[in-house]
Amino acid sequence: MELEDRIYALMMDALDGELTPAEQSELDAHLEARPSYKAEWQAMLAVDTLLRQSPAMVPAADFAQRTMARLPNQQVRLWVISAVYISLLITGILPLVLGLWVFSQLGDELVEPAFIEMALQSLAEGYQVALAISRAMISAVGGLLVQQPVLLGWLLVLGGIASLWGGIYRQLVSQTRPLSA
Amino acid sequence: MNEESVWLEQARQGDKSAFGKIIEAYQSPVFNLAYRMLNNANEAEEAAQEAFIRAYTRLDSYNPQHKFSTWLLSITSNYCIDLIRKRRAILLSIDEPLAPHPALMSDRTASPESQALQGEQEEMVQRLLQELPEDYRQAVVLRYWYELSYEEIAEMMETSVSAIKSRLFRARKQLAEIGMAMNIEPSYEASQI
Repeated sequence: MELEDRIYALMMDALDGELTPAEQSELDAHLEARPSYKAEWQAMLAVDTLLRQSPAMVPAADFAQRTMARLPNQQVRLWVISAVYISLLITGILPLVLGLWVFSQLGDELVEPAFIEMALQSLAEGYQVALAISRAMISAVGGLLVQQPVLLGWLLVLGGIASLWGGIYRQLVSQTRPLSA
Repeated sequence: MNEESVWLEQARQGDKSAFGKIIEAYQSPVFNLAYRMLNNANEAEEAAQEAFIRAYTRLDSYNPQHKFSTWLLSITSNYCIDLIRKRRAILLSIDEPLAPHPALMSDRTASPESQALQGEQEEMVQRLLQELPEDYRQAVVLRYWYELSYEEIAEMMETSVSAIKSRLFRARKQLAEIGMAMNIEPSYEASQI
């Protein structure tokens, strides 16, 4: 096994052009003594030569022009992304600014213990109401699906159809122009 | 700052014509890689275009400390691997007939005999490559057509040098077996041994 590994390692180094003269002699000696390895080596050399002689393929003459025509407009993209970021920033900052303004106007009243207690109580009640509504909705939907399993099947079919048409639409939209125009 | 760096900087600012220079400079290596991987001229052209578009839209993520060609070829080969996997997933045969390649047809200076020989050799190369699993094929193409070092191939394929050596070894063994079955002439044996 060690000898086989050694012979293959020498073959790989030979194909990569990294054999020293001494190693080349060693490989030659191994191959002369073992015809099966020699046959495999010859095949490796033949394939190696074939691959090395094979030229790089070039695309059609107007490839660069057609590729350039497909490049997206980076400046428009940057403007759109910037606009989205600025909108998000404004929508995030506005409530904060409004909150600070309200606090500055009604600061003294807002720190009254009675007001804080009332605010906390309102929050707790709001949470209870939201929880009750969510539970009722989940329970109602669950009950409906148990009573009407066909509805679930129908919803799945509708989802499948929507997904299929979405895929077709994306394919049509992404087909910019035929390649070999 | 060399010419390529200037083009890349301008392209990063959204200058399409600067990126056009990059396309002109790299169209052949990118197309060749896609063609060797996909074995179909039309698909290769589509993949090469897509690789350039991806490179253009992701220029911000390119690290100038690395070679641009390596980064671009890495995008191309990964895209081709994705395509091969998708193609397999939708059960299309990868043994579809080879589309005639414009580079082979446009060489009008070559004699008919040499054109035929060239075409035959080309077909044989593609047949051999298509026998390999895609990750072996990727390593072979990058090694033989781009003369990349094991380290560069490992970096591109996001794996170790020993994994690349192992893949190339197995690929060469596999190719030799197929070569023996196809009776490929060992034309260089006399000069090597």
